[in-house]
Amino acid sequence: MEVGDVFGPYQFQISREQLVRYAGASDDYNPIHYDDAAARGFGLPGVIVHGMLNMGLIARWMTEDAFQGQAQLEQYSVRFRQMVQPDRVLVVTGRVREIDGDQVQVDVQLAESGQKPAVTGKMRLRMARGKEA
Amino acid sequence: MFRVDETRVGQWSEAETRVVERGAVGKFARALGLTSVVHFDPAAARSAGYRDVVAPPTFAVTMLPWQVPGLELPEAGVLHGEQEFEWGEPLCASDELTVRGRLEDVKTRTGQQGRMSILTLVSEAHHTSGELAFRARAMLIVTEEGEHGGR
Repeated sequence: MEVGDVFGPYQFQISREQLVRYAGASDDYNPIHYDDAAARGFGLPGVIVHGMLNMGLIARWMTEDAFQGQAQLEQYSVRFRQMVQPDRVLVVTGRVREIDGDQVQVDVQLAESGQKPAVTGKMRLRMARGKEA
Repeated sequence: MFRVDETRVGQWSEAETRVVERGAVGKFARALGLTSVVHFDPAAARSAGYRDVVAPPTFAVTMLPWQVPGLELPEAGVLHGEQEFEWGEPLCASDELTVRGRLEDVKTRTGQQGRMSILTLVSEAHHTSGELAFRARAMLIVTEEGEHGGR
């Protein structure tokens, strides 16, 4: 692995079913995540994805796909910049910013395909014992 | 109803105990589409060196104390602006965590969409051993709509 290496682009969609599952799993029953009429009542275009679901999905792509389960998240911060709607084509990418021994820092983002990033962030991972960065 | 008592900014909430439940870990992992067996199968998790099934990192959000001194959040009109986590010893099923939180900062801004309050909430969770489980920092934006109770 080298500084500048890029992970992804990982393409996927978030279904409404996944929003409901995440609402249940995270105990977040804000209606803007499952009720279009309620979401519109708050000036939104319709239901939107939980920020924390976007954050968790970026982490999933990085830990399970990019790092193949060989690294542990130690620190992770994100900024939620745009609303994300279900059933859109989304793209997650990561870029290695720094490598220091067994620690790797990665800049990450999630965007709707062809649009400005909706979520940007940084994570620090530590490689599992015996695994090289 | 949205209320901030600026005199209580920085004051920690009473420590609360939360237990990491095996079923909740699996359900959260499934909702994210995670496939690693360490989130679902206790035996596999143990052979990977964990005490029991291990929680996905952002599972920490389910352990956060959102009720902190000096803050009453409205039911609607709250936007999540930023989120940060730092993890220590991983969270495994049956772990007992001691969690507490505080309102770190409050700012008010007037923008195109009217007045908004920008809140920074900080929380931390420790294992019974005293080891850090995680620290979290959330930046929340309460819009004017939220201040007036929404809708």
